[in-house]
Amino acid sequence: MDIRNLQGYASFFMTIFLVVMLYGYIVHLYRSEKKGEKDYEKYGKIALDDEVTSKPIEGDSHTKNESEEHK
Amino acid sequence: MQSNAALEYDYSVAKLFTYTTILFGFLGMLIGTLIAAQLAWPELNYLIGEYGTFSRLRPMHTQIVIFGFTLSGVFATFYYVGQRVMKVSMAESPFLMFMGKLHFWLYFVGALAAVITLELGMTQSKEYAAFEWPIDVVIVLVWVIWGISVFGLIGIRREKSLYISMWYYIATFLGIAMLYLFNNMSIPTYFASGGIGSIFHSVSMYSGTNDALVQWWYGHNAVAFGFTVPIVAMVYYFLPKESGQAVYSYKLSLLSFWGLMFVYLWAGSHHLMWSTVPDWMQTMGSIFSIVLILPSWGSAINMLLTMKGEWNQLTENPLIKFMVLASTFYMLSTLEGPIQAIRSVNAIAHFTDWIPGHVHDGVLGWVVFMIMAGLFHMAPRMFKREIYSKKLMEAQFWLQTTAVVLYFTSMWIAGITQGMMWRAVDEYGNLMYSFIDTVAVLHPYYAIRALSGVLYLVGFLMFAYNMIKTMTSSRVLTEEPQFRSPMA
Amino acid sequence: MFHWLEKNPFFFSVGVFVVIAFAGLIEILPNFAEASRPVVGVKPYTVLELAGKNVYKKDACYECHSQLIRPFKSETDRYGQVSLSGEYAYDRPFLWGSKRTGPDLHRVGNYRTTDWHENHMWDPKSVVPQTVMPAYKHMFTNLADVDTAYAEALTVKNVFNTPYDAPNGIKLGTLDEGRAAALEDAKAIAANMKNKDVKDAVARGEIPEIVAIIAYLNRLK
Repeated sequence: MDIRNLQGYASFFMTIFLVVMLYGYIVHLYRSEKKGEKDYEKYGKIALDDEVTSKPIEGDSHTKNESEEHK
Repeated sequence: MQSNAALEYDYSVAKLFTYTTILFGFLGMLIGTLIAAQLAWPELNYLIGEYGTFSRLRPMHTQIVIFGFTLSGVFATFYYVGQRVMKVSMAESPFLMFMGKLHFWLYFVGALAAVITLELGMTQSKEYAAFEWPIDVVIVLVWVIWGISVFGLIGIRREKSLYISMWYYIATFLGIAMLYLFNNMSIPTYFASGGIGSIFHSVSMYSGTNDALVQWWYGHNAVAFGFTVPIVAMVYYFLPKESGQAVYSYKLSLLSFWGLMFVYLWAGSHHLMWSTVPDWMQTMGSIFSIVLILPSWGSAINMLLTMKGEWNQLTENPLIKFMVLASTFYMLSTLEGPIQAIRSVNAIAHFTDWIPGHVHDGVLGWVVFMIMAGLFHMAPRMFKREIYSKKLMEAQFWLQTTAVVLYFTSMWIAGITQGMMWRAVDEYGNLMYSFIDTVAVLHPYYAIRALSGVLYLVGFLMFAYNMIKTMTSSRVLTEEPQFRSPMA
Repeated sequence: MFHWLEKNPFFFSVGVFVVIAFAGLIEILPNFAEASRPVVGVKPYTVLELAGKNVYKKDACYECHSQLIRPFKSETDRYGQVSLSGEYAYDRPFLWGSKRTGPDLHRVGNYRTTDWHENHMWDPKSVVPQTVMPAYKHMFTNLADVDTAYAEALTVKNVFNTPYDAPNGIKLGTLDEGRAAALEDAKAIAANMKNKDVKDAVARGEIPEIVAIIAYLNRLK
């Protein structure tokens, strides 16, 4: 198989894969909200209530332990 | 985690970048207006000898508005929004404070060096990536330092979930890093030849068609990750905050994000239609450009719906006006772009003035409006003074809106006229017009465009004056406004 | 899984990067081997032509002139044969341009002469009264950077195996040979020019930018 074909197949399958993921994400977003597992809309409030002293919408005790994510 | 009562957000780096946004904005638009006028009245080319020709000024215009104005605006808003949506102050980390300051000064020195080298004609001649290799090295360093700031701030955040604006800032960081590095791959000839000739000169790692592919993969996506992604980050924060309305649908904003990431990069090859790049790639570019309407409109509609039931704010608050109009222009240019990417339309539009017309309804109407609105919103909070003049802001809004409309309408007509004249044939199949006919016919449109440039520049000066007055002599605020920015 | 990504900025960033990097990988890389093959008859640039190409870049001619003839009858009638990918094999960087404020130049060497360029660069309006192109009088006094052009040729020869010094090809040789060859070429062009200062400069062994850029433009065929 030459590189042209490989390129074609790779792009085709990656496109399909990404489309499936995107649709999966839509389903995930709405289903988890319907089941009450997760309220995505509350994150919208992060922008409104953004004082350094205000309570995080979603904060927990090990926030500070993520130093491995420093880059 | 206890919050310290005395703890406040630290805006010192955001302020520094605010100053350069204004400085480079003025400089870039001044040059832009001058070169627009040069096309209508060529005598204006000789104001400062060889350094004042269209040749030298046009690359400076594009690089200054992109790397000077827009990037400063992106950095300024990041150092403001980043702290706030993650509920962490830069004052909490001396290391990040230092990095922020280093970021600014290195950026500023690099920007000055870039302006000087371009004026001297040192360029690798790639559009929107004109800088020679020493400047590129500085830009990479600046970018790495910004990355440290972004991820460092994320590392010490209190708000566990990243707000959608942060997603877009992260994507800006990653996208530009990748694009810029690959497009600017070049070999300094001085070192490769054992010390002959100019030390600034370099030769591209790619040749011909390949170079074109990489360049327009970059060129298109630098627009994506410089003019779209970070500006969307701004609108997702500033519009909700200024209006006091949460984003209409947070889920839609997440979807649009992934949609945009997925589709945008594919669309780059639409710049190379009818050229010597493979057909399937041109088709791919065309199709994805059209699909791109969906995620772009997803964000824009989300913004407009955020104002649902609150449209009265549009008449009361000029800042909301700026942002709503910016979202509208975003919709316009993201519809116009895909239309130009249709192959038959592209055949007429490519190489004509319709392309600068398209670029400018995007940047003047969307990017600049949004950055100015963001800075206006930040000013009372950073400088603890109310905005100097509401009237001036209103006047500026109408002046600049008129300018944008004049700009794109004149360039639409100019572009299509030119495209049609190039291909017009008489009954025997001979070309009807010589090239110079198609230049001469554009004079009135070039004149209108120059006028629109002057109007826009005056508007920007009003913005600068309003900001400087706000910083220095406006009424002092005793407490930080929550939503709507106070203005006199 | 999605929710986990949203909460882990590091892996989130990796995810974003994969999605955006993928298009480039597929679109660009595999095309490289094919598009860089020169068509028969295309030769690398001489040192003087390269020096001229650098003047073309320095004064940003590409901002207003394209070098890409598209496959339409109106374009081939106006500018000549359609551009082929292999014709650009030695163009680093490519100079297709993105805007035609002026006409395409990819085959300008076929229908414009040294004499025409000289008049046009000195005062475009004397040749084309309605033009909006500025005059480039400074090209008649600024000297072309031959050494840098030689360094560029040597670099592409060593790094990218551009066929300099091949049998029947363009000779590059040492720096001194390169300078001498450039001057030789410059004399041939200056012989067809009438500007006294330029002729004198070339006689003294100096090469003004105008000579170099005309060498480059004449080669575009």
